Amino acid sequence: MTPIFKFEGIYTPVVTPYHHDGTVNFDTLSNVIEHLISRGVHGLISGGSTGENYAQTVAERVEIATFTADQIKGRVPLVMGTGAMLTDDSKSLAVAGREMGADAILLASPPYAVPTDRENALNALAIDKAANLPVMLYNYPHRTGTLMGEEFLDRVGRSRNFCGIKESSGDINRVHLLARDYPHIQLGCGMDDQALEFFAWGAPFWVCGGSNFLPDEHIALYQACIVERNFEKGRRIMSAMMPLMRVLEQGGKFIQTIKYGVTLNGMDTGPVRAPLKGLNKDDKRALEQVVRVLKTTIANIQAEG
Amino acid sequence: MDLLTKDEYAAIAADMDFPNTAYIDGAYRPAMSGKTFATRNPATGEVLTDVAACGSEDVDFAVAKAREAFDDGRWSRMHPSERKDILIRFAKLLTRNARELAVMESVDSGKPIYDCETVDIPETIHCIKWHAEAIDKMYDQIAPSSDDHVAMVVREPIGVVGLILPWNFPLLMLAWKIGPALAAGCSVVVKPAEETSLTALRVAELASEAGVPRGVLNVVPGGGADVGEPIGRHLDIDMVSFTGSTKTGKLFLSYSAESNAKEVVLEMGGKNPAIVMEDAENLDRVAQHLVNGAFWNMGENCSATSRLIVHRAVKTELLERIEHHAQHWNVGDPLDPETRVGALVSPAHFKKVSGYLKKAEDVVFGGAAGGGFVAPSLVQLPDNNHVLARDEIFGPVLGVIEVDSFDQAIEIANDTDYGLCASLFTANAKRAIRGARMLRAGTVTVNSYGEGDISTPFGGYKQSGFGGRDNSVHAHDQYTQLKTIWVDLSDDEDEAVS
Repeated sequence: MTPIFKFEGIYTPVVTPYHHDGTVNFDTLSNVIEHLISRGVHGLISGGSTGENYAQTVAERVEIATFTADQIKGRVPLVMGTGAMLTDDSKSLAVAGREMGADAILLASPPYAVPTDRENALNALAIDKAANLPVMLYNYPHRTGTLMGEEFLDRVGRSRNFCGIKESSGDINRVHLLARDYPHIQLGCGMDDQALEFFAWGAPFWVCGGSNFLPDEHIALYQACIVERNFEKGRRIMSAMMPLMRVLEQGGKFIQTIKYGVTLNGMDTGPVRAPLKGLNKDDKRALEQVVRVLKTTIANIQAEG
Repeated sequence: MDLLTKDEYAAIAADMDFPNTAYIDGAYRPAMSGKTFATRNPATGEVLTDVAACGSEDVDFAVAKAREAFDDGRWSRMHPSERKDILIRFAKLLTRNARELAVMESVDSGKPIYDCETVDIPETIHCIKWHAEAIDKMYDQIAPSSDDHVAMVVREPIGVVGLILPWNFPLLMLAWKIGPALAAGCSVVVKPAEETSLTALRVAELASEAGVPRGVLNVVPGGGADVGEPIGRHLDIDMVSFTGSTKTGKLFLSYSAESNAKEVVLEMGGKNPAIVMEDAENLDRVAQHLVNGAFWNMGENCSATSRLIVHRAVKTELLERIEHHAQHWNVGDPLDPETRVGALVSPAHFKKVSGYLKKAEDVVFGGAAGGGFVAPSLVQLPDNNHVLARDEIFGPVLGVIEVDSFDQAIEIANDTDYGLCASLFTANAKRAIRGARMLRAGTVTVNSYGEGDISTPFGGYKQSGFGGRDNSVHAHDQYTQLKTIWVDLSDDEDEAVS
């Protein structure tokens, strides 16, 4: 039997640092991973969209994930991203995930094709079959063009591996639907500015790009809401984080912002791959300002005990 | 349906995709704990799949969804003729998938494919169809009353019902319960037996495909303590219909008493007598009935004939004829269409049945047991106090007790804790009717063995059960309750009846 996997806590979709010639900077990647583990994040995701998976070949993704697995050495769970345009690529990534000892796979809808729920479910079941690992679904209709609807969720229930979902639709009704009608699929926040709402509905995990450079603050919110069940405190932490969320979710430069945040922490993540471009000076200054205020405010809340 | 060859059945079985998660709110879902248990082919010991081992949290979820469905009326308040249409479509889908279901049933339970193809599956389909056809032909009543009043006696679906299934007829017992329950408009939470969960799960999916709304038919596999007891104790379940052992059935009464006093219908064990008098006609035909009654479904049948009470004058000849017919009941691979006696359902049950056989002092034929299979066996019993005459063995073992008179035969037949079925073979019409009346059993057959059919009620006396009957329109009673509606039509308040 496949034991169900409990996704709990802060899962960081790790950025991919590059050298300025565009090749992967494994030294910095190693530093980022060590930093995240030392700060206490609960799990790492390799090959998510924050890791620029769409701009990498399958071979590169496998190499990066394998490096990550070797670096982690089982200290925290590793989730292997399998999102790809081609089903066969997703299957190859899933198989690689199993072979490298990943603890779970992150499974998204294939972008651009706009499959029906039925097609999407059969696709997901095929990828699942290739890995036979616990699955964290990734519902991100704004990026993939298709929503993991009820028929999809009903059909993937044929495999007990589907035990988590990173919900990134931004539609609060989806949170209600998932919490009430799909309790066997652990609900995870994938929409950073709704983290408090997700936690209120009992979501046990949060996949947050921002935790690449602000792990303490993201853990603080999880700690307050889920561990301490103190939503008053949680609301104050979330309120302090909202300016960051605005920059991340509404600024249109999510990955660049995250990578620059990591660079600010002393680990140079280098450029982003095409078609994206880096932050300009104004964006950088804005982020620095937001981070400074956020860190101080949350540190003060934490100091109250 | 034409039967296939053994190899063809084996090929279908090898290629089969077994459902193995719970089915709740219109979808397959793993147990929330992630736990599973292995389900095996009892004929080979091979693991077929790992089935979700649900717990009380899954029961709670299924009941909540069943309640939601019941309360919003998506099924319970649907016009009966619409429910009929959907259930008939459901029966058609069962027919279309009959072969898959037959093979799945055979490998999961050890039943001969011959029985699955010719009895279990066709009767399952017929049962669903029968109750579907009945539901829009049942009328409520208007009671006699004065001009100023209307008193209506109406039937309403009882609500959310828990259905606890045995492993001996996994599909047929499912149909016996969901047929009338769904037709009546109830929402159901089914607990299949741990040994035989597979076909119920597949059937639930087919029901959804036919248009039974989500939440109406839920199947929660798992153990008695983890699923059965939470159903029995659930505060939001209105009624439980149980088929299984007397010991477990009694537990459901206590669960009810200790929770919400839900209604409980019990269909439990049997120790069914067949009386053959010296004037019985055509002993060869009698023997055929007895062989069928005792050995069909490996004797794993609460209505199996397990005590042959025979008059001394015809005993020797009858036993010879029984032995002759029993020889044609091949024991072996359940997927071989020539097989009439398959594997017992589990190693634990095999141990129990073979343990009883060892206590037999005078074996006429059979007595062999090995590898999960027990040969049809006939044993002579010194009297009705022997353990093989008292306990329900639930295996292919027929005990013979010799008598000298009709009254003695009736007395012995009734000398049991059970009262499910009885049969009486005599050519004397007065004796036949008198005996049928004197036998304390829910079903009495004269000059034949049987349970009746879908059109007649089935259930027991004494510790064989109570609370309602399966089959026939009477089966609907247990899934409905009566409501009286009084309407005062008078204009003058002084004349109104309070």
